Amino acid sequence: MIKASLRGLLQRKLRLALAVIAIVLSVGFLSGSMVLSDTLNARFAGLFATINENVAVQVQPTKESDNGERVLLSAAELEKMSKVDGVDKASGEVSGQGVVPFQSDTGDEVTTQTTIAAGTDGRDPLGLVELREGDWPHSADEVAISANTAKLAKVKRGEQLKIFVPQLGEPKNYRVSGIVGYSGGRDSLAGEALILFELGHAQEMFYGKRDVFANASFSAKDGVTHEELKKRIEAQLPAGFKALTGEEVTEQQSNVLGDQFSVFQIILTAFAIIAAFVGIFLIYNTFNIIVAQRSRELALLRAMGAGWGQVVGSVMLEALIVGGVGATLGLALGAGVGALVERMLTSGIGLGIESAGIVLSPWAVLWSYAMGILVTVIAAFVPAIKASSVPPVAAMREVVRPDKSLVGLTITGSCFLVPGLALVALPLLASVPQSTLILAAGLGLVFIGVMLLSPMLAKPVVRLLGYLVGWGQAGKLGVRNSLRNPRRTAVTAISLMIGVTLISAAATVTESFKTSLENDIGRYDVAIIVLGPNTAPPDGRTGYNPTAMDKVSQLPGVTDVASWHITLNGALGGQPYPGLAATDVAVAQRMWKMETIEGRLGKLSPNEFVIDDNLAKDRGWKVGEKVKVRIEAVERDYTLVGIYKATPTVSGPLLAEAAVDDFAGGLAYQGFVSVSQGTDVAATVASVDKIMSDYPGVTVGDMSAFLKQFNQIFDFLLRAITFLLGVALIIALLGILNTLLLSIVERTRELGLVRAIGLSRGAVVRMVGVESILIAVFGCLLGLVVGVGSGAALSQALIEADFMTTIVLPWTNLIAYVVTAILFGVFAAVVPALRAAFLNVLDAIAYE
Amino acid sequence: MTMTPAARAVEVWKVYGTGEAQVQALRGVSAEFERGKYTAIMGPSGSGKSTLMHCLAGLDTVNAGTVYIGETQVTGLGDAGLTKLRREKVGFIFQQFNLLPTLTAAENITLPLAIAGRQPDKAWYDTVILTVGLGDRLHHRPSELSGGQQQRVACARALVSRPEVIFADEPTGNLDSRSGTDVLNFLRDSVRQHGQTIVMVTHDPNAASYADRVVFLADGEIVDEILSPTADSVLDRMKKLDRNA
Repeated sequence: MIKASLRGLLQRKLRLALAVIAIVLSVGFLSGSMVLSDTLNARFAGLFATINENVAVQVQPTKESDNGERVLLSAAELEKMSKVDGVDKASGEVSGQGVVPFQSDTGDEVTTQTTIAAGTDGRDPLGLVELREGDWPHSADEVAISANTAKLAKVKRGEQLKIFVPQLGEPKNYRVSGIVGYSGGRDSLAGEALILFELGHAQEMFYGKRDVFANASFSAKDGVTHEELKKRIEAQLPAGFKALTGEEVTEQQSNVLGDQFSVFQIILTAFAIIAAFVGIFLIYNTFNIIVAQRSRELALLRAMGAGWGQVVGSVMLEALIVGGVGATLGLALGAGVGALVERMLTSGIGLGIESAGIVLSPWAVLWSYAMGILVTVIAAFVPAIKASSVPPVAAMREVVRPDKSLVGLTITGSCFLVPGLALVALPLLASVPQSTLILAAGLGLVFIGVMLLSPMLAKPVVRLLGYLVGWGQAGKLGVRNSLRNPRRTAVTAISLMIGVTLISAAATVTESFKTSLENDIGRYDVAIIVLGPNTAPPDGRTGYNPTAMDKVSQLPGVTDVASWHITLNGALGGQPYPGLAATDVAVAQRMWKMETIEGRLGKLSPNEFVIDDNLAKDRGWKVGEKVKVRIEAVERDYTLVGIYKATPTVSGPLLAEAAVDDFAGGLAYQGFVSVSQGTDVAATVASVDKIMSDYPGVTVGDMSAFLKQFNQIFDFLLRAITFLLGVALIIALLGILNTLLLSIVERTRELGLVRAIGLSRGAVVRMVGVESILIAVFGCLLGLVVGVGSGAALSQALIEADFMTTIVLPWTNLIAYVVTAILFGVFAAVVPALRAAFLNVLDAIAYE
Repeated sequence: MTMTPAARAVEVWKVYGTGEAQVQALRGVSAEFERGKYTAIMGPSGSGKSTLMHCLAGLDTVNAGTVYIGETQVTGLGDAGLTKLRREKVGFIFQQFNLLPTLTAAENITLPLAIAGRQPDKAWYDTVILTVGLGDRLHHRPSELSGGQQQRVACARALVSRPEVIFADEPTGNLDSRSGTDVLNFLRDSVRQHGQTIVMVTHDPNAASYADRVVFLADGEIVDEILSPTADSVLDRMKKLDRNA
């Protein structure tokens, strides 16, 4: 029995090749993303292992505490731990974020992935860096920098280097006292900049007081293991700190960096799963058709005494082999592509870290096989059961399988569709809790419902489309052929529908969002926007000094200026709330035409705040309510004095300006400028830009420029989604190709006949082409209807939440999708059509 | 008045395979098939009768010799020429009926005209339909018709475009004797009443007896012929051929 199915497999290798390709593509996608992140992580791990070469144990705060307060290590505590038996040398670390050096010639910021800013007392006990020339910094006006920093900022020893430290708010000039390098003569570890301040100065700048450290590293005396030293130091740990071995630190650091890429990996994995899902339909169809064609052979096996289980087993064995082969090839493809992309990525962002070679983790191998085999086994299960139900007598005579009724499918489909539509409508018509979840569940049900209903829909829709493309007798025959087996047409079309649904839903939401924003922003009295850097989450230590806005207000034509202080490190009513803003609400009200719903807006007194109506409804707060607001480590009672109408541009809590004192720093993150009519906006932007040039990462632009940038981001996202769905779409194309090829084999005799009674080769090509286009366009239309519907429903939900104002259908995109579907149909038809056209007429008629 | 024959083979050779496995299916066959006549080609299996018909119809190529349908030389035509020939001058009836399952009986009958983009001659179409005798089953799919009905539809399909010649390949091979008789009567009537030319391959002496003339093939050569055959005379001749073989 096994032998029989293996032999059958070889004979059908061409037909199964397409099923294998589908698995190769989806498994390749999955394993590629895993290999990419594993290889990246290995590369980073190599970097951190170098950094922690001499670290036996590191003591760090247990975690960034909940209330935002920073736990520091005192000099006395460090001293005590350095006396622990077995400690060779100890080093307290002082470092700051958001420090940016400027280039000496142009005055522009140095652009690099990271700038490490640290304090040093002239000793580097753990010997990571070594002085190459000059001296360590000895005063608050001196810095030592790495050779790479000197190169980037174009400064030499003894020259002045302008450096921005967020805590100071303004850039300051330092004298370069010395140049340092890393062991092995390296200028940098990974292309970063390194600035070393005098220890006390750094402590004062970064922590506000001397003799404190962020963490401490220790090296071990000979004969003391890292684990042993860790245990001994743990006995002396101050509260709020933990000890890690150097190896653990390396792992921790590379995980932190790796996490930044894990989002990327999750997205890729999601798209790989979509591709695999589409593959299920292709493989299902392949096995279904193969089983149908083999029914005589299977019946013969049954007549000769093969059991039910043996027939199912033989089909499943075929599926397993197809899945296994596909997964193996997919894994190989994924490893190659993943490694290639990793190399492109790391060289693209200028990471000068040595590669650790291609990393193929056991997990990647496991998941690849699990996915490849699972997908085929799921897809082949129904055809296998069908195969086993072929009665032995079928071997003796021509079996006419009547079309199975679609009633069952249609009823089941409606059972999904109707409740699905109801669930979608519910949160849009009434306010219910968990509305997002309900909407998502509803859309999922609608999707499944339409999938199940598609065979029933195939007949009327394809017939209607047939009027458009089914020209001439050849076209009519093509239309008839595609209507012949609605299930097969539908299953093939669904594979295309899945991708189109996702793309058109995304396009609808994006288009609506873009238009809403454009309409909304046009209403406001804001001409110029100043934006803080996107390198670190805003907390008052990135952005610009609000005094700069005073200078802006002096510019000709400027009528109003506003600085917004924003922090992500805050909580509202006991719940963390990333995005607290402090500003002059009176100005904000003027500029953004804020509408008062309850209470009052205008100038706020300390400890007063306002919120938008959605948030008020959400939390159930009324005007006059006392709410606990935490910023960094400070929690105070604030009084809610007003509720305003949310718009796509302005929403969330706005605190009185006095709250800025609690922020981690005094820098404003966003600024807005209004000008009088007839002002030269471009010239004003240039002047503002000049004023802001001292603040690293701060960008200035007029409203239309920002809008354009925003639109570009959306367009990019949409393109990225389309691109990532490309693999799923290619599998769908292969699915159409496969169905056509198999149908042509089934209809060989008919093809011979129509040729014998005078159908030309060209007409045969047209006939197959029409069938192909109909399947593709049918799938595309199903996808468009479900996708645009879902997109509109999501948009409506966003409108309810005041994120958007209008729903706009992306007509250009939708038309482009239909045109692409037609092209897909044409492409998919090429090979099958030529095969059909060049069949030998005589052989075809005699074909059994 | 001399008329060109409806179909003609001149010194046709057809060889399959090479070397040891070579089979000479046709060895210099020359034959003419008169217009308005019903000719049966008979012979034991392997005699080359089907090959001769396929070559005459342009379904197969020949190694040497020439084939004509009416004035048209079939040998040497490209695919486009053959397609045109099939549309205008040739009709086929197969043993396996070969109807398109997606089309109704009526649609199957007019398919050759539709493919050629021609309108059916209404009077002729009605005549054909009447002779087929399908009645209300005309708008049923092939799967809902009996074997005899399906083959009558196939005959009507061949007739409706009034081809120069209809080639029938064992048209009764898959039918019970009653349905077979129906089909044979139908074919003979279309020759007698409408002047259709038919060339039929068969191994059934009874089927051959419906023809005006029977040509006998053995080992790739024409060995004999009978005019106005009866089932007995054909059977007699066949027995003789078998004995010689």
